[in-house]
Amino acid sequence: MTAEDKVKINKLPTGVPGLDEIVGGGLPEFSFNIIAGAPGSGKTTLAHQFVFTNATPERPALYFTVLGESAIKMLRYQQQYTFFDPSLLPGSIRFINLSQVVLEKDLGAVLEEITKEVTKSSPAVVVVDSFRTMVRGPQDGMDLQAFIQRLALFLASWQATTFLIGEYAEDELRDNPIFTVADGLFWLRQTTERNSIVRKLQIVKLRGQASVPGLHTFRITNAGVQAFSRTFGLTANRRSALGLKRLSFGIPEMDKMLDGGVREGDSVLVAGSSGTGKSVLATQFIAEGIRQGESGIVAVFEERPQAYAERAATLGLDLEKPQRDGKLEILYLRPLDLSVDETMHSILSAVKKVGAKRLVIDSLAGFEMALSPGFRADFRESLYRMIFALTGIGVTILSTVEVDESFIEFPFSTYSISFLTDDIIRLRYVSIDGQLRKIMTVIKMRGGNHAKDIREYEITSDGVVILGKRLTNYQGLIGGLPVHTGRSAAQEDALHDSEVERNS
Amino acid sequence: MTNSPEMRDLARRLLTYEAVADKNSRPMESPTLRAYEKLRQCLVSFAGVASFQSIAVRALVLAQAEDPSLCAVQVTADGELQALGDVELLTKLDKDTVGSRQAGEDPPGEAGAILIARILGLLLTFLGEALTLSLLRNAWPDATFDDRNSGNGRKA
Repeated sequence: MTAEDKVKINKLPTGVPGLDEIVGGGLPEFSFNIIAGAPGSGKTTLAHQFVFTNATPERPALYFTVLGESAIKMLRYQQQYTFFDPSLLPGSIRFINLSQVVLEKDLGAVLEEITKEVTKSSPAVVVVDSFRTMVRGPQDGMDLQAFIQRLALFLASWQATTFLIGEYAEDELRDNPIFTVADGLFWLRQTTERNSIVRKLQIVKLRGQASVPGLHTFRITNAGVQAFSRTFGLTANRRSALGLKRLSFGIPEMDKMLDGGVREGDSVLVAGSSGTGKSVLATQFIAEGIRQGESGIVAVFEERPQAYAERAATLGLDLEKPQRDGKLEILYLRPLDLSVDETMHSILSAVKKVGAKRLVIDSLAGFEMALSPGFRADFRESLYRMIFALTGIGVTILSTVEVDESFIEFPFSTYSISFLTDDIIRLRYVSIDGQLRKIMTVIKMRGGNHAKDIREYEITSDGVVILGKRLTNYQGLIGGLPVHTGRSAAQEDALHDSEVERNS
Repeated sequence: MTNSPEMRDLARRLLTYEAVADKNSRPMESPTLRAYEKLRQCLVSFAGVASFQSIAVRALVLAQAEDPSLCAVQVTADGELQALGDVELLTKLDKDTVGSRQAGEDPPGEAGAILIARILGLLLTFLGEALTLSLLRNAWPDATFDDRNSGNGRKA
């Protein structure tokens, strides 16, 4: 059998941003699906989004309500969502209440009623909300499994894509024969982690096509359910070839230390303690990109965009105009219950919007704080996914991270994430001649012959300014408490120059 | 459309529509009962008997406060209206006997309009204007309704 001989399964848009990617491009047409989860987990809203996206006057949607929430109250609340279009009722979307049939008769009568309505309307979409409330006791003539089996058979023949909505607890997922009938099983979870609510969605099964496995976070806003794929919607993207281009910081001495600049598509970590100029360096990096025609994104967590732009202005860097021109977006992300996937969604949307080549994350500590506590545990793994996804599409990322200053060790990051980064620039304080001065060094640069020099720098009204040549007349600089070698700076400079000459 | 006079106006129009549109109905069946029945069928279909019945009872209580002649009317468990025909007939006879209405008194048949207006008012409160009009269009497919932003006149 060739590919052409096989039946083609159409994929229907779910109407839920992000969910099409998770289910593998859309929901299989004529599939019989169950949406399960605890009350308040977003089951009805998800079904409504699908209904409002796919119902037409020719192929309407039938929405059967049973016991539980009254249809009037449901519509009262659901119409608050932006996707709810009242003009589709009742021509394209019909709500039919079956509570009387359920109360007075058995499941056989319910099936008969559904059959009658489906036969009459030939719907494209059928929803039964909630099918679990139909089971009222052992006296029912037909058990729920038989009911669902017959309903599935009937609706498949009538070419309807179906959702059954049911309240199920986590432990009911296993060994439940009802779920074997379904082509698709969507499990919605809502958990409280400290003071945050975390919503996650899992496609437990989906026949006919590959879905993205795992738990995907989702959020319910006034636009309805929005899902955030663990793959950030980038599964279809081919990884960009590693760039040969070098991206400048706009600080010539710094670029020299980096063998000409940061390699395009790299992930750079700027680590240092408070006040060492990490954010200043990051701002110069983004501003230089804009100066060179490379759009950028700055994700800030510790100050508001306006304050960030104002601080840049004190360094002579104009971030207001590029924002107005659509070349720069400063994202402020600080709701304290974000998931990495949501953050990524915001960043990716901004990257696509402005065509960004450079991204600054300032800082990782602020980013971690903005996440829901439950996601902080997975921060390292999440960063890995995020960096891999973004650099994969050719974005160069510069992240800042605060490290506790220590005079007995030289840490690069509190997150053990140095393996995730291509380049690490370390900033630190040193005590020299009764002053607390600043030094920087390039610790690591994948695929680049970076300078091994330790350079002193200052933060002035021009930003980071690297002073003189490498600090050769001190030993123990990286420990923060250097010892003078006894040679003068002039002697050290002469030694340095001769060394450079030998190497060139 | 949110205030009571507008609701009353819409209810009167529905009753007028029923009075002239359905010439095949039983002579004793009032336009109010026919309008009520259309609303009942429409609402029961999508919201269930219990939902409709609770709305109807609430509307009746509100209407009784406006027109005490409705105190004899009842809503049954399945949402049907009882004794409205008698009330309307008695009211009409009273008016005919007395000959003329007192100032500020409701015209004959107004009790029905009050009840229908109260049902419409509750629907508007719970569902909003768009869905309420959508329901009315479903119940009276031949009538024309407009929303408050439309320039078309309401013809029902």
